[in-house]
Amino acid sequence: MEPDVSIETSCMIRIAVLPVGTVPASVLRDYFSMFLRHHTIPLAAISSFYTEHQKSPFAHQPWDAGSIRFKFLLGGAPPSPWEDFQSNRKILAVIGICHCPSTPDLDSAVEQFTAACKNYSSALVQRCFAFCPCDSQLEDGGKKEDVLRLFPPADHQTLDIHLQTMMQEIAASLLMDFEKWVLKAESAGTILKTPLDSQASLSSEEVLKAKKRRLGRAQKTIGDYCLLAGSPVDASAHYSTALELARLTGDFFWYAGALEGSVCALLMDRVGHVDVVLEDEVKYQYNNVILHYRKSFIQDNAQRVSPLSFELEATLKLARFLCRSKLSKDVVELLTNAADGGKSLIDVNDRLVLFVEIARLFGTLGYQRKAAFFSRQVAQLYLQQDNKFAATSAMQVLAMTTKAYRVQSKASVSDPPCTKKQTGPSHTDSGKMHHHLIVSLFESQWSTLQMVVLREILLSAVRAGDPLTAWSAAARLLRQYYPLITPAGQNGLASALNNSAERLPSGTRSADPALPFVRLHSFPLHPSQMDIIKRSPAREDWWAGSAPSGPFIYTPFSKGEPNDNSKQELVWIVGEPVQVLVELANPCAFDLRVDSMYLTVHSGSFDAFPISVDLPPNSSKVITLSGIPTSVGPITIPGCTVHCFGVITEHHFRDVDNLLLGAAQGLVLSDPFRSCGSAKLRNLSVPSISVVPPLPLLVSHVVGGDGAIILYEGEIRDIWISLANAGTVPVEQAHISLSGKNQDSIISIPYETLKSVLPLKPGAEVILPLTLKAWQLGPMDFEIGGGRAATSGSTGRQFKNASVPTLLIHYAGPSTDSEDATIAKVSNLPPGRRLVLPLHVCVLPGMSLVKARLLSMEIPAHIGDGHPKPVHEEEDPASETVEESDRKMEKRLVKIDPYRGSWGLRFLELELSNPTDVVFEIGVSVQLDGTDDNNLPIDQDGNSEYGYPKTRIDRDYSARVLIPLEHFKLPVLDDSFFMREFCNEGSTSSSRSPSFSEKNTKAELNASIKSLISRIKVRWQSGRNSSGELNIKDAVHTALQTSVMDVLLPDPLTFGFRLTRDNSSPQQESGSKDSVLANDMAPMEVLVRNNTKEMIKMSLGISCRDVAGENCIEGGKSTVLWAGVLNGITMEVPPLQESKHSFSLYFLVPGEYTLVAAAVIEDANDVLRARAKTDSPDEPIYCRGPPFHVRVLGTA
Amino acid sequence: MATTASFIIVSRNDIPIYEAEVGSATKREDAAQLHQFVLHAALDIVQDLAWTTSAMFLKNIDRFNDLVVSVYVTAGHTRLMLLHDSRNDDGIKSFFQEVHELYIKVLLNPLYLPGARIASSHFDTKVRALARKYL
Repeated sequence: MEPDVSIETSCMIRIAVLPVGTVPASVLRDYFSMFLRHHTIPLAAISSFYTEHQKSPFAHQPWDAGSIRFKFLLGGAPPSPWEDFQSNRKILAVIGICHCPSTPDLDSAVEQFTAACKNYSSALVQRCFAFCPCDSQLEDGGKKEDVLRLFPPADHQTLDIHLQTMMQEIAASLLMDFEKWVLKAESAGTILKTPLDSQASLSSEEVLKAKKRRLGRAQKTIGDYCLLAGSPVDASAHYSTALELARLTGDFFWYAGALEGSVCALLMDRVGHVDVVLEDEVKYQYNNVILHYRKSFIQDNAQRVSPLSFELEATLKLARFLCRSKLSKDVVELLTNAADGGKSLIDVNDRLVLFVEIARLFGTLGYQRKAAFFSRQVAQLYLQQDNKFAATSAMQVLAMTTKAYRVQSKASVSDPPCTKKQTGPSHTDSGKMHHHLIVSLFESQWSTLQMVVLREILLSAVRAGDPLTAWSAAARLLRQYYPLITPAGQNGLASALNNSAERLPSGTRSADPALPFVRLHSFPLHPSQMDIIKRSPAREDWWAGSAPSGPFIYTPFSKGEPNDNSKQELVWIVGEPVQVLVELANPCAFDLRVDSMYLTVHSGSFDAFPISVDLPPNSSKVITLSGIPTSVGPITIPGCTVHCFGVITEHHFRDVDNLLLGAAQGLVLSDPFRSCGSAKLRNLSVPSISVVPPLPLLVSHVVGGDGAIILYEGEIRDIWISLANAGTVPVEQAHISLSGKNQDSIISIPYETLKSVLPLKPGAEVILPLTLKAWQLGPMDFEIGGGRAATSGSTGRQFKNASVPTLLIHYAGPSTDSEDATIAKVSNLPPGRRLVLPLHVCVLPGMSLVKARLLSMEIPAHIGDGHPKPVHEEEDPASETVEESDRKMEKRLVKIDPYRGSWGLRFLELELSNPTDVVFEIGVSVQLDGTDDNNLPIDQDGNSEYGYPKTRIDRDYSARVLIPLEHFKLPVLDDSFFMREFCNEGSTSSSRSPSFSEKNTKAELNASIKSLISRIKVRWQSGRNSSGELNIKDAVHTALQTSVMDVLLPDPLTFGFRLTRDNSSPQQESGSKDSVLANDMAPMEVLVRNNTKEMIKMSLGISCRDVAGENCIEGGKSTVLWAGVLNGITMEVPPLQESKHSFSLYFLVPGEYTLVAAAVIEDANDVLRARAKTDSPDEPIYCRGPPFHVRVLGTA
Repeated sequence: MATTASFIIVSRNDIPIYEAEVGSATKREDAAQLHQFVLHAALDIVQDLAWTTSAMFLKNIDRFNDLVVSVYVTAGHTRLMLLHDSRNDDGIKSFFQEVHELYIKVLLNPLYLPGARIASSHFDTKVRALARKYL
């Protein structure tokens, strides 16, 4: 059988093209392709070379429209035993190709050519074409005009024209030779035989029949020559004669041949005008041809020779003819029959040709799967021949089938980027895709077939000695079908990969990745030290709005912003190393060593760092791949380059993503990652990465170690933070802000220090001082803190991180680095950065306040006359503090003046406990702020604090600290305090809501309490460098809540007593000046001070009691006589003034007496009523002074 | 029962979703592969033929050597393909109709994704029983 047969084959003149001398293969191919262009020579073109020697037998030669066709056979072909039967099988001309530059000796070339021509006895024309001769060869070759044709050196086009002329000349000589042959054949009858004709049958045949048969065969052959000469009409005439004779003689084989020729002649005649009628005619005739070939089958010589191949050829010819008009059903039928017939073909090569042709025809029809099927049959036939060339052919044929079986090598897939790009990112984005699209990704998962095909490719490639193809096939097999391959098979494939790699030069690349499976795990965000913040050029605080603000992860307002879509952006910086986490999986049963692996970036603007990995069987591993971007611009990372099994391959993340998607849908055999025990990864969206120019980079550390700062509650400490610019660009803007919990624990922030050092040059360092005050631990903190003490480690860390304040430093380099500032500002302002600096503060529970309460202490004053205080300040605690402040400042003690007592003195008692294992010292100080100073006429010399002696609290002990509250009385009782209360009282009648007024009062109270509390500071110190402040606010607040008015406000009237005796009295000097002698007249004064801003009218009364509390002025047993008025004294005291009233007492019995002054205020105003908390306006307001002690000494 | 029979269901995406060797002949691996190759190649024929006729059962549409391919195309263009060497057309037709019903039952399963492999062992058992009955 012959390949590439068609109906028109019968009219083609075969010309053997032989290389003469040494012709390089590429040059030969080049020359041959030039020949191929001249396969059809129009008859009109050859008339100049044609001379009619005698009357042409081709009477109906169409000189104007006809043509002669050539079929060039490179290298020639051995003579066929069937060339008598079909003249087109004869090699009718031989052309030698001589490439002069490589064949200098033309003589030997001619000799060689002549020798070669001897093999082609049927050749009518022999020519040797010598291309590109040099001058000497030109001269030399001129002598051998008859055989050798020298082509002058010229360009390709000129050469082509030369060649055309030569071919026309050949065509003309062939035509003349055909005429000669036909004339001879017509006259003398030639014996025409085929292998079908047995010797015996020919000799014993009866003569007449043999003669007729011979005549018919001669007519058929003449028809063949007519066809070759390009005269279909003549051919038809001869064929019809031949058909008649063949039918008569029962020569079915030749009948079929003649019929074939007549169909060809018909087609030739009607060239270009194929219609349905013609088609049907051809179909009918050819079916006849096939039938007659089948009839000619003779059983007795079937073992030796069979007309089957002609039947099949005819079938293929018809199929090819019908293919053109896409009558696929008929073609399929014909081809299926042909394939069936192939079984009976004796020659393996015939079967090979048959299957190749069937595959080609199916391919032409668009039946790729059918074509692939027969191609595989061809490959199997090749593989049955045990030689390297057959294996190579098998490999190449199988490579053609890979597309239909969808196992093609990536190298052969020409357009994956554009087609896959459309589906790839879209599904990774959405995570969901239309189902049919997913399915189409895994179309035709005929795993059995695919594995068989790949295995055959591997086998043929190994046999053919093509290590790269073998490697690629084994890689595809292993990567895609590992779940279907036994561990032994997997090991076999691994060794096949390694064996192939050994034969490959190192650094060979393959388009098909093998193992491991690589998927993108994550893009680690910049560590908080290097966060990149987009700058909004319009704002001064460019960092604002770049990060989500507020406590909510999701805010409805941010929806619809452009950055809201799932495609997040990643910014990399030139020169700063970046990391990408990828996950590797080795689902196979062998140890996998990845020699090196790095990220692939096609733009070349990325320096990737290779690493090597070992993967045990059935394992997966997350590794970090890193690299440095080297130039500005967008960057994409399609995958990574892996050097494994000795070959470099590129692994695309997208492919694995698709694979995993298919696995999730149950369309792919197995998920390699899950089978390795790796957790399911959420669908990672690949961010769009852009690389920006270098940015400054601040690196921070806490001076004195980055460890946690351990503070007790309330402790105040200064820390220093060192910031250094590790980048290559100066920091030009920087701003500190706070975030996180317990922000108020940072007392001072060195804004100015930072501002003053800008711009911070690369390499420069600045130290920022910061004052911290440890916060209070809440109940939750206590629990966790307690747990941390017990356990340690992780929980403690968590707790620490959860509650520490964080320092955010936003900084940026120069806003523009080019002169076109305006453009840059709009388009791409280099981003700024944020340094997140969590202050690792660990707060330990320190001293704790158990409770606070208010105590009052009443010590009666002694009556004396020597104390040097100004009259107007008497009995006024606030004034007293001022007056005696100097002294108190020195001793830092509460000094109770015995002459004044401390009636109404109140103490705040703080009960403190120390649960820690260190000793605390407590110091209380009271701050006097500016508002008080204004009211006080005498100020302390710049010193605004009172200190009290320190209290030491040992560990696990509690202690109480008393804080006198005497300093807080206001000097004047005026209506400012009650302003609101008046309003309320006035408005109670006018239907004002009482609850509202109460609330106001409460607020007023709270304000005053707050101001009071804020002036009391309880500081503590522990060890040498721990000191802090106790937060007592809440405790004091609750303690004071009820009685703040009493503490804060002075009484409207204050009373005082003193002795008024003349200083010259000797007794006075000898005795204690504050005592009174019995049985002596003791002149005294009562001082009444008005603390209000109104004139107060009152009725004053004085009473005296002894130690037993009996009234000793009135009653029957009175022991004290008196002179002057003691009761019902009517007095008027001007505002903020004092009045005195003198009287004398005469004590009969020595001992302790108590004098008490009391007054009933008349015409009291609202202020007084409010102070006295009277219920009704008619109620008298009664004021009682503190008791005063009088010690009466005996005279003895 | 036929000596050689290979049954396969091909989804409309040309993916085999069910495969079974239902012949009584001793199973050989390379034969099974050849069966699949033939069935795969026959898809080309079905593809053209299915649109030329309203019949669902397309008998003997393709053959290779003595193996014949018969196909039953469902309305959803799922193809039930049988490779056989017997000529029991009626049996094959009944077999296809019954398997079609089974396939519809599989489709009705809300957890079954159309186009995915049929992994139901119940289905497999039923198909093999039908093959014994009709082929």
